[in-house]
Amino acid sequence: MTVAIEVRGATKTFRQSTGVFGTDRMIRAVDGVSFAVEAGSCLGIVGESGCGKSTLARLILGLLPVSSGEILVEGQSLADMDRKSRARLIQPVFQDPFSSLNPRRRIRDIVAMPLQAQGIATRERASRVEEMLVRVGLPGAIADRLPAQLSGGQRQRVAIARALVLRPRIVVCDEPTSALDVSVQAQILNLLDELRRDLGLTYVFISHNLAVVEHISDRVAVMYLGRMVEQAGTDDLFAAPTHPYTKALLASVLTPEPGLGIPDVGLGDSYPDPANVPPGCRFHPRCPIAEARCAVETPQPRDLNGHQIECLLA
Amino acid sequence: MRFEFRKFAFGLGVVIVLGIALVAVLAPWITPADPFAQNLEARMIPPIWMEGGRAENILGSDQLGRDYFSRLIYGARISMLIGTLVVICSGAIGITLGVVGGFFGGRVDAVVMFIITCRLSIPLILVALTVVSFVGSSLTVVVFTLGLLLWERFAVVARTTTMQVRTLDYISAAWAAGCSLPHILLREVLPNIVHHLIVVATLEMALAILLEAALSFLGLGVPPPLPSWGLMIAEAKDYMYFSPWVIMVPGVALFVLVLGINLLGDGLRDRLGAARDA
Repeated sequence: MTVAIEVRGATKTFRQSTGVFGTDRMIRAVDGVSFAVEAGSCLGIVGESGCGKSTLARLILGLLPVSSGEILVEGQSLADMDRKSRARLIQPVFQDPFSSLNPRRRIRDIVAMPLQAQGIATRERASRVEEMLVRVGLPGAIADRLPAQLSGGQRQRVAIARALVLRPRIVVCDEPTSALDVSVQAQILNLLDELRRDLGLTYVFISHNLAVVEHISDRVAVMYLGRMVEQAGTDDLFAAPTHPYTKALLASVLTPEPGLGIPDVGLGDSYPDPANVPPGCRFHPRCPIAEARCAVETPQPRDLNGHQIECLLA
Repeated sequence: MRFEFRKFAFGLGVVIVLGIALVAVLAPWITPADPFAQNLEARMIPPIWMEGGRAENILGSDQLGRDYFSRLIYGARISMLIGTLVVICSGAIGITLGVVGGFFGGRVDAVVMFIITCRLSIPLILVALTVVSFVGSSLTVVVFTLGLLLWERFAVVARTTTMQVRTLDYISAAWAAGCSLPHILLREVLPNIVHHLIVVATLEMALAILLEAALSFLGLGVPPPLPSWGLMIAEAKDYMYFSPWVIMVPGVALFVLVLGINLLGDGLRDRLGAARDA
C-alpha cells in the first residue's frame, strides 16, 4: 500500500477575541487528528456542522497553516512545499459552485486559471481546457459563458474541471454535492467516482450526508469536536458501527417511511461549544452509555476489530 | 411608475454627462468666438433672449467683453479635466489602500484604518486652501491637492467590499491553484468590487468639480484668465445686482453637470447591482 496523504496529529487553534476586557478564548477546531489515505482510494470524513471538517480540508489544502502536527503528501511535508508545487499535487472542489466560481470570468478562464498560475503557454492551456471540459461532460460551447449562465450541476462540473486540469494526485472535496439538487447530486457523485478510477486520483471526501459518503468512500472517518472518534472501512463501519457517536449518527438518518417520524437518537443536548470542550471523553455529555469515568479519563485511539476508535467503553 | 422615473433619471444623467464631455472635447471647433479675446466696446451684453441681446453673443459677454458662451464651453473643459484627473489620482490611492487592508486584514488592516481615520480628521477645504495658497495656484496643484485628499471614500468602499469577497470560495480556489498575489488581487478581487467603485467615482467626480469651483471662487483655484466655472462665478459676483445672468449662467451649468453626474451614479448603482443579482 502506498500512502498518498498522511496526517499526523494535525491541530488547528483559533484565537477568539472576547472584547476589550475578556481574555481571548482558544478554539481547537481540529485537535490532534491522524489518518492516512491510500493512493487511489477515497476517505470519507463525516460529522456534524462545526466538528472541524472544513477546517481539516483547509489544512490539507494548505489554505491554513497547522498549529502543530504535520501533513505529508507522498512523503513530503506540506509545510515545506511552495504553493505552486502544492497546487500540482492537491486541488479542491468546494461545496457551493455559486461562490467557488468567479462571477466575472468566463468558464474558459476559470478552468485555465491553475494552468496560468503554473506558467503554461496560452496555446497548450486552450487545448487542455477543452479536453477537460469534455472529460467532465460539458459541451464546448459553454467555454465562453459566464458562471451565471450555467445551472448548479454545470457549475460544479466546471469546478471539478478546474480542480483536475493540473492532473493533481489528490482532490479534497468539501461537501461537493450538498448545494445541489438531489437529481444532480447523483450525477456529480458518479462523475467524481468515474474520474477517480480513470485518472487514479485519491479523494478526501468531506460530507455530512452519510448516504453520499457510503456511496463513494473506501474508508470512513467520523469526526466529533475536532477529533476522529472512529475510522473503519466503509462496509465495516456501516454494518457494525462501534463508537456510540457513530451509532447515533447512523440512527439519525431519516427513513423514507413517513409514519416513522424523526428518529430519537438519544443525543439529547445540542452540539457543545467548541471553545469549551468537555473534560475526559469529549462526547460524554451526550453519550447514551457514558459512565462516571468518561468525564475524567481521556480515551486514546485504539484498534477494535479493524475499527480505530476513541472510546473507553466500546 | 417609479421605475420609469428612475430610467428617465438615468437617461438624463447619461445625456448630460456625455453632452458636456463632448462639448468639452470639441471646444475649439464649436465655440463661436475666442474665449480670451477681450472687446471693451461690447461689455456686459445680456443673453440673446433678453432686451439688448445680440446674435454674436448667445449668452452675452462678461465685464471684459469676452463671449460668455465660449467661456462657458472652455470652462466645461476645465471642470471635466479636473473631475477626471482627481478621480484617477484619488481612486488609485484609495482603491490600493482599501483592497490591501480588506484583503489582508489584521495588522495591515489596522494600519489602513488608521490612515483613513487620519484623513477623515483633516478638514478638506482648509487644507486645500492652505496648500494652494502656499504652493501657488495652477491646474496641476489643484488636481494633486484634491487627488491626495479625496480618496477616503474609495478606500472605505474598496475595503469593505474586498472583505466580503475575500472569504468566497473562488478566492480559496485561486489560492489553492497557486495563483500569485497580484493575480488574485487584480483578476479575482478587483473585477468583483469595481461596480461599487464606479459609483464612488461619480460621487467623487461631482465633489471634485464643486471643490474646484469653490477654490476658484476664493481665488485659489485655476488662475485667470482660464475660464473655470467657479472663477466665472467669482468674477460675476460684483455685477450680480445689476446683471444677474452673469452669475446665473455658470451657476446653472455647474448645477446641471453635478446633477447629471449624480443621476448617472445613482443609475449605475441600480443597474450594476441588478446585473449582479440576475
